[in-house]
Amino acid sequence: MDVTFEYTHPRIAKSRIGKLLTGLNERLLIVLILVFSVSGIALIVLGVPIGWLMLGLAAWPYGIVAWFRGELKRVPVETSPRSIAGVLDSDIASCLPKNPSPKDIASAVMQTQAGLFYAVRFGITPNFLLEIASPEQSHTTEVWDDTLELFEELDQGSVTAGMLIYAIIKQFPEHAALLAHNHLELDDLKQGIVWQLHLGMLVEKHSAPGRTGGIGRDWSFGYTPLLNRFGQNISQQIAAGGLLNVELESHKDSLDQLIDTFSSEGRQNAVLVGETGVGKTTVVHAFAERLLDASSKLPGSLKFRQVVMLDSAALLSAAPGKGELEDLIMRIFSEAFSAKNIILCLDDAQLFFEEGIGSVDLANVLQPIIDAGRLRLILTMDEQRFLQISRRNPSLVNSLNRVSIKPSSKDDTLRVMQDQLIVNEFKRKVTYTYQSLQESYKLSERYVHDLAMPGRALKLLESAAGYAENGLVTMNSVQKAIEQTLGVKIAVASETTERETLLNLEDKIHERMINQVRAVGVVSDALRRARAGVRNQNRPIGTFLFLGPTGVGKTELAKALADVYFGGEDRMIRLDLNEYVRNEDVARLIADGADDPSSLTAQAMKQPFSVVLLDEIEKAHPNVLTTLLQLLDEGILRDVKNREVSFRDAVVIATSNAGADRIREYIDRGYKMEQFEDQLVDELINSGQFRPEFLNRFDEIVTFKPLDKPELMQVIDLIIAGTNKTLASQKITVAVDQAAKEILVERGYDPRLGARPMRRIVQRVVENHIAKAILSGSVNPGATITITSTQVEETLGKNDKAAAIEQESGYTADSASD
Amino acid sequence: MSMIIVWALSWWYSAGWKARVVSLRERLAASYDYFSIDLLLRTLFSPFRQISAGKVSGPIGLQLRAFVDRLISRIIGSIVRIILIFVGAVWLALQALIGALLLVIWPLLPFAPLVGFIMMLSGWVPVWM
Repeated sequence: MDVTFEYTHPRIAKSRIGKLLTGLNERLLIVLILVFSVSGIALIVLGVPIGWLMLGLAAWPYGIVAWFRGELKRVPVETSPRSIAGVLDSDIASCLPKNPSPKDIASAVMQTQAGLFYAVRFGITPNFLLEIASPEQSHTTEVWDDTLELFEELDQGSVTAGMLIYAIIKQFPEHAALLAHNHLELDDLKQGIVWQLHLGMLVEKHSAPGRTGGIGRDWSFGYTPLLNRFGQNISQQIAAGGLLNVELESHKDSLDQLIDTFSSEGRQNAVLVGETGVGKTTVVHAFAERLLDASSKLPGSLKFRQVVMLDSAALLSAAPGKGELEDLIMRIFSEAFSAKNIILCLDDAQLFFEEGIGSVDLANVLQPIIDAGRLRLILTMDEQRFLQISRRNPSLVNSLNRVSIKPSSKDDTLRVMQDQLIVNEFKRKVTYTYQSLQESYKLSERYVHDLAMPGRALKLLESAAGYAENGLVTMNSVQKAIEQTLGVKIAVASETTERETLLNLEDKIHERMINQVRAVGVVSDALRRARAGVRNQNRPIGTFLFLGPTGVGKTELAKALADVYFGGEDRMIRLDLNEYVRNEDVARLIADGADDPSSLTAQAMKQPFSVVLLDEIEKAHPNVLTTLLQLLDEGILRDVKNREVSFRDAVVIATSNAGADRIREYIDRGYKMEQFEDQLVDELINSGQFRPEFLNRFDEIVTFKPLDKPELMQVIDLIIAGTNKTLASQKITVAVDQAAKEILVERGYDPRLGARPMRRIVQRVVENHIAKAILSGSVNPGATITITSTQVEETLGKNDKAAAIEQESGYTADSASD
Repeated sequence: MSMIIVWALSWWYSAGWKARVVSLRERLAASYDYFSIDLLLRTLFSPFRQISAGKVSGPIGLQLRAFVDRLISRIIGSIVRIILIFVGAVWLALQALIGALLLVIWPLLPFAPLVGFIMMLSGWVPVWM
């Protein structure tokens, strides 16, 4: 095809005439037609012959208007085009000068409706396009070349504004980076072309009159007053244009199966089974629409049949007693059967087969009707409920024709969103960007668990409308919707305070933790990587194995992280794996939240943005560890219902005391941590405590060294600071002098138990002393209580270390672990 | 300017004329669908709105009564349908006639000012009583 733009080509010239006649000029011509015809007729009636001329003259403006509407408004493309002029959309062609440069093309494109579409939906504004488009006429051929290549690839009938935008952007050398700034790729622009044309087609289809059988269609069928009261006639709603339906590729098989079932001689019923959100009701709507379409190839027994959805809530409220309800249902069914054109649909049919709040077991009434198979009936049911009912009532299930509805693919989901957003935009008075759709799909796939696709993406898309900025639903709106509902952080860190926290994470953690610099460092690095957006999105933020003796700060680091970064210590999902020592405990780990809210998957579903602490991992059953492998590797764990639960926004920390003695031994022999870490891991593998494939799954294996005495002095300061925080409400401050601290360290230090016994001893001494002081009235608000070495010795007794430690060890072994 | 007239006239006598035919066809199809004459013919003697349409078992007197009821329902149904078929057929015929007339006038419209001019010169106007 010739890529020279022929300014004088008839199509292009006609486009220009069309542009000239658009708007005011068209209205002017219509006024002329009216003036000529009315005055002509009036003059003829009055007996003035000039009226004939006036009337005749009305034909010319009429002709021009007819020509404008029939051809010039949108000049049809040539059947065998030889140049770009033969296929270029006329609204663009009409705005182009004789020898257009890419900049001229950009300017023309942005004046069209399609240009506006790209500006709003993709953020490709006129200024942006004009900025990057070349002003050189010599570059135009390249733009035409790329456009025609895309025109042939997409086969959409004409060269549209979207194709030209694509070509202009592609010509820009830095286009990839530029588009990435808008979270786009070139392929997304291609999707936009199809989307824009599809929207146009939808509007056309919606405004075209439907052929739905006409005035005498229902005269052979019975009246249905009861059904009208307790049901929702979907067919009627579709015929009135009130339902916008999307026929999906992934639903095509199910729809055909449904039509086959009702066309055959067998039992006239079907049960649509699929996860919630998969689109079962949409299939029913699509089925109703197909039946109404006079042009569809259907047997006469199905054409124009009405699909009526029963409203279970209305039924239950009208007939609260079971006997009454059974009677009402029978009357409705009998009415539907006698009418001869009704296909009844029981949406969420499980409500009719089980006893509960808002549901009632009518299996006894429904079973004979379903068995007989004469009344046309569609049931929709959640997969899980269907299995439960089939276990309870196998004969019922055997009488039903099962049609499985599968979740939609990514392409299909995006198509549904593109179609459905028209309704949302109309209802909520917002406009969705292309990026918001992509983000809705991505985030809903990761965070929304209770629905299948496309329902989960649509749900998020709908809630994002509440976070629109200036009427525009963007990627940020979707992220905010998820962040607000689930409390996760998705957007790249941009707030100054958060940046500060990230950059000074180590300092903030060290405010409540002594030493363990390496451990704090690796965890902080992982978080910074995650929030700068450079981490692998398909894994947890970080996975760490903390090795070391008890009381050295392993759990404390996890808590500190939850507090400092994730927003509170309650942002920690803690599992003591010494409670998962049997094979059967795997089921408990992945139990459904409804049965066991404390299962790992249930907690992660509720709180995906958190620290997951797997304590004493070496004690878990090997099958529990195998189950956790997928979590560590892909950040995904499937629960008992086979739902994917994401851990990709969590930091997973496993702790173990395994090798604690060896660590102490190495330290005592004067080794530094870095010198023996690898050897220690080898020893753990060789001794069979951990399998190599398990250890390999961690980003880092961090060894915690036992605390020495100077560090313990700092721990005391932290403990005292904690006590002062508690006492702040009573306006009392406590201080411990240096000598007293040394005694506390001396008495509290135990190489086997780390800092933990010391914490208890400090608390005992300090808190006892304060309690006595407060009760005796010797301190007033604003006072500072100083604890001296004498007071410590008084409380603990001289050289009572052994006894103190013994007492604390007993306590630790009984009730606590690191 | 002359090219514009050529383009306009070539559209008028080709695609424009054809578009009128398509438009008439669509209008007739829509009317046909609205009156659904074939459907009415197929169900001409069906009971109207399924009134008294069900089978009745019992004594002969009851069955006879049901038969009569059904017969009345069928007669009412067929009368209503015949009326609608008649109205629909008339409407379709009128639409087809007017449409055909407009199709015939269409090629003459560009000459309407000339015809008007001649009529003006002739001085003839209809005389109203």
